[in-house]
Amino acid sequence: MKKFLCALLALIMVLSLAACGSGSNEPASTAEPASTAEPASTEESSEGKVFHIYAWNEEFKGFFEKYYTVPEGIEVVWTIVPNEGTQYQDALDLALLNQESASDDDKVDMFLAEADYILKYTNSEYTQDIKALGVTNFSNTYKYTVEAASDANGVVKGVSFQCCPAGMIYRRSIALDVLGTDDPAEVQAAVADWAKYNEVAEKVHAKGYLMTASYAEYYRVFSNNTSSPWVDASGNVQIDPAIQAWMDQAEKFVNNGYTLTSGVWDAETTEQAAKDGKAFCFFGPAWYYNFCMGPAFGEDAVKAGTDSVGDWGLCEGPQAFFWGGTWLLAATGSDNPTMLADVMDTFINDEEVCTNLIKNEAQFTNNQAVNNKFAADPEFGNPYLGGQNDTAIFAEGAKNIKFQNQTIYDQGCNEGLQNAFAEYLKGAVSKDEAMSNFYKALKEKYPAITVPEA
Amino acid sequence: MKKAIKHRKSVSYTKWAYIFIAPFFISYTVFTLVPQFLTIYNSFFENYRNGLQQIGPNFVGLQNYVQLLTPDKTGTVDFLKYFGNAMAMWIVGAVPQFIIALLLAVLFTSARLNLKGQGIAKTIIYMPNLIMASAFSMLIFALFSNVGPINKLLVASGVIDQAFDFLSFKIPVRTIIAFMNFIMWFGNTTIVLMAGIMGIDQSLFESANMDGANAIHVFFDITLPLLMPILTYAMITSLIGGIQMFDVPQVITNGKGTPNMTSQTVIMMLNNYLSTSKNYGMAGALSVMLFIITGILSFLVFRTLSKQYKK
Repeated sequence: MKKFLCALLALIMVLSLAACGSGSNEPASTAEPASTAEPASTEESSEGKVFHIYAWNEEFKGFFEKYYTVPEGIEVVWTIVPNEGTQYQDALDLALLNQESASDDDKVDMFLAEADYILKYTNSEYTQDIKALGVTNFSNTYKYTVEAASDANGVVKGVSFQCCPAGMIYRRSIALDVLGTDDPAEVQAAVADWAKYNEVAEKVHAKGYLMTASYAEYYRVFSNNTSSPWVDASGNVQIDPAIQAWMDQAEKFVNNGYTLTSGVWDAETTEQAAKDGKAFCFFGPAWYYNFCMGPAFGEDAVKAGTDSVGDWGLCEGPQAFFWGGTWLLAATGSDNPTMLADVMDTFINDEEVCTNLIKNEAQFTNNQAVNNKFAADPEFGNPYLGGQNDTAIFAEGAKNIKFQNQTIYDQGCNEGLQNAFAEYLKGAVSKDEAMSNFYKALKEKYPAITVPEA
Repeated sequence: MKKAIKHRKSVSYTKWAYIFIAPFFISYTVFTLVPQFLTIYNSFFENYRNGLQQIGPNFVGLQNYVQLLTPDKTGTVDFLKYFGNAMAMWIVGAVPQFIIALLLAVLFTSARLNLKGQGIAKTIIYMPNLIMASAFSMLIFALFSNVGPINKLLVASGVIDQAFDFLSFKIPVRTIIAFMNFIMWFGNTTIVLMAGIMGIDQSLFESANMDGANAIHVFFDITLPLLMPILTYAMITSLIGGIQMFDVPQVITNGKGTPNMTSQTVIMMLNNYLSTSKNYGMAGALSVMLFIITGILSFLVFRTLSKQYKK
C-alpha cells in the first residue's frame, strides 16, 4: 500500500513538474503543431513538416501568405510577439536558447529581426550561414542589407526583403498654404537643412498647423546620423552629439507648440494624418506610410471618408536617413533548410514577387533591378502621394545608406530615451530626473553596461 | 472471533489523515519552499544574460543587496521609493475598500433588515474581480487616454478647453490605480467579512437587541470584536496584495511607472530585472528584501489588531 502511494505521489509530482516545464518553454503558437512525426520509411523528403516563423507584427506575414507558395505538405506556423519594450527579443531569445531541446516541429526555422538588434543574432551561434543553405545570389541586393545580416567575419546569416531609405512625407495642402507650392523639389529646397526646416516650422505654426505630430517624429533622422554607438567598446553608455541635438530640438518644438508630446506610435499622433489632421510632415520609409499611417490611408478610414489619400508628397528632408527594415534570419537547427533558402531567395531575387511588392504593397524592395525599373517608369506613381513616384526618391536615397554604429542595446536605448524625455517635455520631471530615469531603466534592462552616475 | 475484535480495536485511522494532507505539504515544499530557498541562494550570485550570452553565476556575496540599497545622487533608494509608491496606492484604495466592505457585510447579514435581492447584489459587487486585471486596466487606460471618451466628454461639455493628460500626472495616475484596486477587491472583502459575521452566534445579536442596544453599539461592541480574526486576515492579505501590486500599474503606465517613477512598484522593478536580462541575482535580492518587509509588516498588523480587542 505504502509503495503504491509513494509511487502515485511521485508520479503526480513528476507530471506536474513536466507540465510546468514544457508549459513555460513552449511559445504560444498560432497553430497546432502536427501531432506525430511521420515514420522515416515513407519516401518523402527528410525535412520537417512545420515551418516555424517568429515575427513581431503581421506585415511580412501578409506578404508571405500572398506571394510565397508554400511547398506541399508543409504547414507554416507563426509566432507573433509585439516589439515594444523588447518583448519580441525576450520571447525569441527564450525560443532560441531552447532550440536544441525543442521537438522538430517546435524548432524556430526563420525569424525576423530589425536593424536595432539584428547584431545580437547575427553575431551568435543561433543563426546560420545562408550561403551554405544555397542562397548565393546577392547581385541585386543593396550592400548595407547584406552587411547588416553578416557577422563579424562576413558570414551572411539572412536577407532583408525590403530596403528602408526614408524621407519626409509632407502634406500637400499645408505646403500649398504655407510655402505656396506642393512640388517635391521646391518643398525639399525649403527644408534642405535643419535651420531651414526650423524656419518652415515657424511659418507652419503661424498658420495654425503643427510641424510634426510627435516630439519624436524625426528622432530617427538624428539617431541614424550619429558618429558614435550608444554603448562604447568598454560598455559605457554615451550620448552622441546628434542625440543631444535631437533633445534640444524636440524641447524647442514642444515649447513653441510646433509639435505634440505624444509618441510616434500613439493614436493622437497618427490621428493627425487623417483628413482633418493638422500635421505638416511625417518622417519614414516606405513601410511607414504604407503600414503605419492607418488614419490617413487605412481601409477603414477610406470607407469612413476620413482618409487623406493623395494629399501627401515625399522628399528627402533635412538629412538623409534610413529606418528599420525587416531581416529574415536563418535559425540554427532548422529542420527545413530547403524551404528556408527558398523563402529568402524568393524575396530578394524573384522578380515577380518584388514587382508585386512595389506595385500592390507600395514597398521599396531589396532588388535594385526591379526598383530601378519602377523608378524610371514615368507612368508609375503612388496613389497615396498623389501619383508621385516615390520609388525614384528611395532609389536615390538607398545609395547613401551606411549600416554603422550599431550595438545590441539599441532598441532599449532608443525607446528608453524617447520615453524618459517625453516625461520631461510633458513637464512631469526635470531634465536631470529624466536622464536619471533613463539610465536606471537601462541598467535594469542591461546589467552589463555602465551608465553615468545617476 | 475474540482475536478478530482485538485486531479491529488496534486499527489506527491516523495514517489516513496524514495521507490526505500529504499532497498539500508535498506541493508546498516543491512549489513554494524549495523555490524560496533557491531565491535566497540566487541572490548571492551574479547571474544574468547579456544579449544571448550567459554571465555567471559567480558568487558575489552581498553585492546585489548593496547595489539595491545604494542611494542615487539625490539620496533616493529606488527600491524603497517603489515600495512607498505601492503602499501609498494601496492605502488610498484599501481604506474605502474596508469601510464599504464592512458596511455592506453588516447590511447583507442583518436579520432585522433582511434585504431583498441580495444574491444579485453580491454577484454584481464581485463581478469586477472576475475580469482580468489587465483587461480592466486596458479599459480604464482607453477611457482616460488623451483621445479617450472622458477627455472628449470634458472638452465637449466645456469643462476644459483641451485634452487633459490624466496619465502624465502623479495624483490622477495614483488615484486611478487605487480606485481600480478598490473596485476590484471590495466585493471580495465583503464576501469574506460576511462569512465572518455569519460565524458569530446570532443569540448575541438577539440579546443585545433585547437589552436595547442600537445598531452602532451592536456594531462596535459585538460585531467588530468578534470579527477581528477574520478582519485581520483580510487586512493582511490585502496588505500583501498591495505590496505585490503589479498588473494594474504595469498596464496603465505601459510598464514605465510614469510620471517620474511615482507609480512604479517593486514587482514592476522585479519584472524589469527578469524580462530582458534574466537577472536572477538582483531579482533574488529584491525578492528576499520584499519577503522580509512583508513578514515584518504582517506581524505588526497582526499584533496591533489582535491586541486591541483581546480583553
